[in-house]
Amino acid sequence: MRGAGLTVRDVLYEAPGAGTRKKIAVATAASLLLLALLLGLVIRQFAIAGQLDRKYWFFFARGTTWSFLGKGLLGTVEVAVVSGILAFAAGFFLMVGRISQSRISRALCTGIIEFTRGVPTLLFVYFFFLVAPQLGIRLHAFWKITLPVSISACGVVAEVLRSGVNAVPKGQREAALSLGMREGSVFLKIIFPQAFRVVIPALLSELVIVLKDTTFAYVINFPDLMQNASVLISNYDAMLSVYLLIAVIYCIINYLLNKAAEAVAVRGKEKGGAK
Amino acid sequence: MSMSQTPMIEMRNVEKHFGDHHVLKGISLTVKKGEVVVIIGPSGSGKSTLCRTINRLEPIDSGEICFDGKPLPEEGRALAALRSQIGMVFQSFNLFAHKTILENVMLAPMDVLHKPQKEAREAAMELLKRVGVDSQAGKVPAQLSGGQQQRVAIARSLAMNPKAMLFDEPTSALDPEMIGEVLDVMTELAKEGMTMVIVTHEMNFARRVADRVVFMDEGRILEDGTPEEFFAHPKTERARDFLNSIKDH
Repeated sequence: MRGAGLTVRDVLYEAPGAGTRKKIAVATAASLLLLALLLGLVIRQFAIAGQLDRKYWFFFARGTTWSFLGKGLLGTVEVAVVSGILAFAAGFFLMVGRISQSRISRALCTGIIEFTRGVPTLLFVYFFFLVAPQLGIRLHAFWKITLPVSISACGVVAEVLRSGVNAVPKGQREAALSLGMREGSVFLKIIFPQAFRVVIPALLSELVIVLKDTTFAYVINFPDLMQNASVLISNYDAMLSVYLLIAVIYCIINYLLNKAAEAVAVRGKEKGGAK
Repeated sequence: MSMSQTPMIEMRNVEKHFGDHHVLKGISLTVKKGEVVVIIGPSGSGKSTLCRTINRLEPIDSGEICFDGKPLPEEGRALAALRSQIGMVFQSFNLFAHKTILENVMLAPMDVLHKPQKEAREAAMELLKRVGVDSQAGKVPAQLSGGQQQRVAIARSLAMNPKAMLFDEPTSALDPEMIGEVLDVMTELAKEGMTMVIVTHEMNFARRVADRVVFMDEGRILEDGTPEEFFAHPKTERARDFLNSIKDH
């Protein structure tokens, strides 16, 4: 099918002619040259500053370094996965509350959603790290990072899910009602499954944000990738090399998540959905 | 048919507003068991709304609607139970987009009537065969033509064994070459004695299949008679104008 290979560029612009193709080639070459120049400058600056010295890089040859970072990565993934699940569950109930018939429930859920969306994640982290103990709430370090990250994400998840629900054509609900299905059944079996499919890419994007928010774990000394990297830095006094490496690791994970989101979106389109 | 038989659908003095717009004005209409009533009229005359009040997809402001002798329940379990006895076919098909054709037909019998899966599947295949789309059972709605989708929608309604069927412009969203296949299924249903209320612009179909034709304009029923009477001798000026306007096409 023709639709499958269609990209955003094809939709926005005409197919380039000979003249345009020449311009594109020149511009591409120029930007590549500029990029190479910049990269060269950066590496030269590293060399001048002595950052390419062996002492900043040798420990990457040791297995223990990698297993230590691996443990950190595992901690990061644990926090991200559990936060993602909690945020999804809380977001689902907030969304249901927000679209319910009851005015009180709507007002309450709207308030919670706006609050969690509006407050920076770091403030929630400080709350669980500093305020909660004063209130006599004792939590494991894992929850001190997982709870604030989930809370910070749940409002966005609720709104994403709600936009999905609104995207399902009204006729789907009417058809289900006309067959004698009850409201709850209609929502769970007809509306929500379709809404969910529509918003999977947006939910995965939110998971990327959750993953990035897990870096606040260093605030409470929970051993995630960021925290373990900080330990390496203080041990070897090698800030640049370590930060560079974990930046690449975060980047790869989030790139994979985004790729997954795209794959899901394409599959969803092929399966048809609303016409 | 005996005169004492309870009507299937009875509407008395039904009024309905959409905001300031008065869509149904003092509608009274009786549909006997097994009767096929076709509602025609210019767009915006309230015919779709009338159709949708019968299973309360549109609540009414005042008046009374009875189905099979009982007033329509307002909400909850009773309303759902009533709706399950009235099939409805929509202009835009409204097949469940995320389910296969077979699942579309099986869903309500399992969810509402709690039929076992095996039984629901057999009944669904039987119905799909009856409307001629059994070969498409494993596909999703978007893979079918409009005519096929609408026939599946009819099968989906029939799976609930309804006492009556409502058709809200069932062929208006179809390409001309697909209208016939859907009307054929409806004609078949009418012959089998199904009680039907049909909003349509298909005048030939109305002439052939309807027991009664109801003409609506600006929220009122202006004429109610046999197709022979109505098409040959419309009583009102509005009906004559309407019939002339569609003849020009």
